[in-house]
Amino acid sequence: MDYKAALKEINEKMNLEFSILHLSEDEVYLLASPDDFKNICLALHKLLHAPVASFFAQDARKEKGAFKIYCSFMSAKYKKWFFVVTEIPQDNPKFDSLAKEIYSASLFEREIKEMFGIEPIGNPDLRRLRLHDEIWPNDVYPLRKDFKVPELNNVSGVYCFNKVEGEGIFEIPVGPVHAGIIGPGHFRFSSVGEPIINLEIRLGFTHRGIEKFFEGKNAGDALRICECVSGDASFAHSLSYAMAIEKISGIKVLDDTRLMRAVFLELERMYNHINDIGGMAVDVGFSFPAAFASIVKENILQLNEKITGSRYLRNINCIGGITMAWDKDKTQILRDSLKKIYKDFDEIKKILLSSVSFMDRADGTGILKKKTAEDMGITGLAGRASGIAVDLRKDFPGIYGEVNFNLIKQATGDCLGRLFMRISEFEDSIKLIRQFLDKLETHRSDAPPHKSTGLTVEDRRVRDPLISGIRPQAAAQSNSDIKEGFALGYVESWRGPVLYWVKLDKAGAIERCKIVDASFLNWQGLSFCVLGDIIPDFPLCNKSFDLSYSGNDL
Amino acid sequence: MTEITLSILQVVIIMAIAPLVSGVITKIKNNLRFRSGQSIFQPYRNLKKLFLKEEVISKHVSWIFMVTPFIVLASSVAASLVVPVFIVLTKTQQLGDLLLLVFLFSLGRFFLALAALDTASAFAGMGSSREMFISAFTEAVAILSIFAICLNLGTTNLAAVNLYTIRLPTIIAAISLFMVILAETSRIPIDNPETHLELTMIHEAMVLEYSGRSLALIELASYIKQVVFFSLIGTILMPAFLSNGLLRNFTVFSAYLAKLFALCVLVSFIEVHLAKMRLFRTVDFFSFSFVLALVAIILAALGV
Repeated sequence: MDYKAALKEINEKMNLEFSILHLSEDEVYLLASPDDFKNICLALHKLLHAPVASFFAQDARKEKGAFKIYCSFMSAKYKKWFFVVTEIPQDNPKFDSLAKEIYSASLFEREIKEMFGIEPIGNPDLRRLRLHDEIWPNDVYPLRKDFKVPELNNVSGVYCFNKVEGEGIFEIPVGPVHAGIIGPGHFRFSSVGEPIINLEIRLGFTHRGIEKFFEGKNAGDALRICECVSGDASFAHSLSYAMAIEKISGIKVLDDTRLMRAVFLELERMYNHINDIGGMAVDVGFSFPAAFASIVKENILQLNEKITGSRYLRNINCIGGITMAWDKDKTQILRDSLKKIYKDFDEIKKILLSSVSFMDRADGTGILKKKTAEDMGITGLAGRASGIAVDLRKDFPGIYGEVNFNLIKQATGDCLGRLFMRISEFEDSIKLIRQFLDKLETHRSDAPPHKSTGLTVEDRRVRDPLISGIRPQAAAQSNSDIKEGFALGYVESWRGPVLYWVKLDKAGAIERCKIVDASFLNWQGLSFCVLGDIIPDFPLCNKSFDLSYSGNDL
Repeated sequence: MTEITLSILQVVIIMAIAPLVSGVITKIKNNLRFRSGQSIFQPYRNLKKLFLKEEVISKHVSWIFMVTPFIVLASSVAASLVVPVFIVLTKTQQLGDLLLLVFLFSLGRFFLALAALDTASAFAGMGSSREMFISAFTEAVAILSIFAICLNLGTTNLAAVNLYTIRLPTIIAAISLFMVILAETSRIPIDNPETHLELTMIHEAMVLEYSGRSLALIELASYIKQVVFFSLIGTILMPAFLSNGLLRNFTVFSAYLAKLFALCVLVSFIEVHLAKMRLFRTVDFFSFSFVLALVAIILAALGV
């Protein structure tokens, strides 16, 4: 069935009115009246069996005298992203909450409430996520266009944690300052003895107002901000953003560039996965493989630096291309290094999987059931470990469609399942990079030499805007091609989907940029998976997800 | 030299080398993990740093919190008097026997757990609860395996150790005792001495509220406890090179150091090559050592 037929069915059978507002190659925008908004979302949710992928508001009061809200669903079947859009009058900013029917909408609705002051009627939980009541006054909505920074000193509100009461129940507060070099997050455990009855995670301590910071920025400049959203997924974030801008402006990206981008995306996946595999070993006190894993991670980071000049793959993307040239030497360096990395990795894998003491800790710990994961809208690696077969590399393949790529999933949903996911994805990444390199070489031989505006590694070091304050050339050049419009960029980062919805105004400046990192929804998965497990197993569960604080807090 | 001076000398030597043993274990572990690691003298520097630091004491604690570091240290020092380390001293070592050793350490642990509860910190409470859970097993197994050794010795007094010949039950009991020692010295697979990850700690959680001088005393006490246990194993399994009454030459002393070093290497290997057990799985670990101790007793009673 075509997606149009499906939409028609919703239109006719369920008697819901909407018009198609905008259509692009992989996005469909349905404009609904505020009254029908909820029902259309529910119908789409039912039709697509998909959680809410992104749900956000936009301040369009200047042009339309109303706020706009967008609720987005991903459909692998139709290869489309569906957006339900409605306009909410500014004098009565309210809409019907989806949270009771679609749980994955709940967090997004809280976000809309705190950032825009638009009230989701019927959402039982309207506590603020990032603007902590202890310092932020009420009725301050940062993402409204008329926002002014308030006095932050004289407020002392209270955040209400969920309470579990009864005999023998202890509350254990952990964080936001931890005994390690990790991000700040507050974890409130309620336990009876060791088993955990409830875990509430409070985040937002690294809220930097990134979405606000994007507003008014030149589309090319903002690329460097994306890399700071979540440092360990710099490349995925900048790629997702660049993709959105390229879609808006209709910039065609060369196949070579797409291949190189895919190579970097996989390199990012590799260094993070091996880091987490080592991290899981650290958290159960298994120090030998942990030390080994840190060596492999360092090798990959050094490889990154050798090829791109940046250990964390920053400053590579620009709108419509990448800022560096590719040559035969780099292919050779990659091939050689991958061989060695694979050998070391295989050794670590053997040590871990043959250790009874390690397997005993990981097996059956922190089970996230498939049903829970689906309801919460758990995405990416954690979702696949629980049996949700969604991977943007498979569902919207792009360049991945030209190589041999199989989706990997696990059924168990426990820490071991997530470990297996990481192990197989690491091995897969090596295979993928090799195939991309083969493609790159054949492209080279039959295509005219690539006209590269790229800079050498040394040049790029000098030109790194974070060091020298000079903007990368390539990004600046393409500014004239930027057009007005809006689009969604999406990339499967190592954690899961990274979504950038960007709206540009006539001058090519950003009007609204909505970022969804996989961490945002997955943090809830963590708080559900530890239930019934004992407190000393929490660090292992936490590491098996390894979610981003800054990617969530924005 | 009189026996009293020699006893005091023994305590001083144990106190002096105790941090070194910890430093050596850390160094070996790091080298096994391809790391250069900190100097083996780092524990001394840490102690010095802690002794010089200001101490922060919660307003809400009682006298128990204040006296605990002294009691813990005193119990460890007293324990170091009881074990023949490299000299057999009939007088002081007859003051107590192996059972006293177990109870001396229990005393220290009891006060540590109390002091942790005294602070009313969530982590400290968790730590005491875990420590008590584990000590319920370790004490039983320790007494059983010591009993097996005593059956072989013919007395509960370790001063008789240089007169006996090692037999199979003693070796089995020593293995069981060694497993207990891993737990008592907060080592993997029971506890992880390296982590300060709040949620998994046992021993470190109990001492979380201590700082400055008090923390230094507690750290020193746990170093001493470790050496006393290592010496005990060394004495039981390798009674040779124990000097009878007088410190004749350095052979005795260097043999003792060699024994300690061998144990350090063993412990380091175990720590690097095992993951920490799930908390409730430690029961299996102790069941195994309990069975070993039981087998040792039966064999000893049968006269094998």
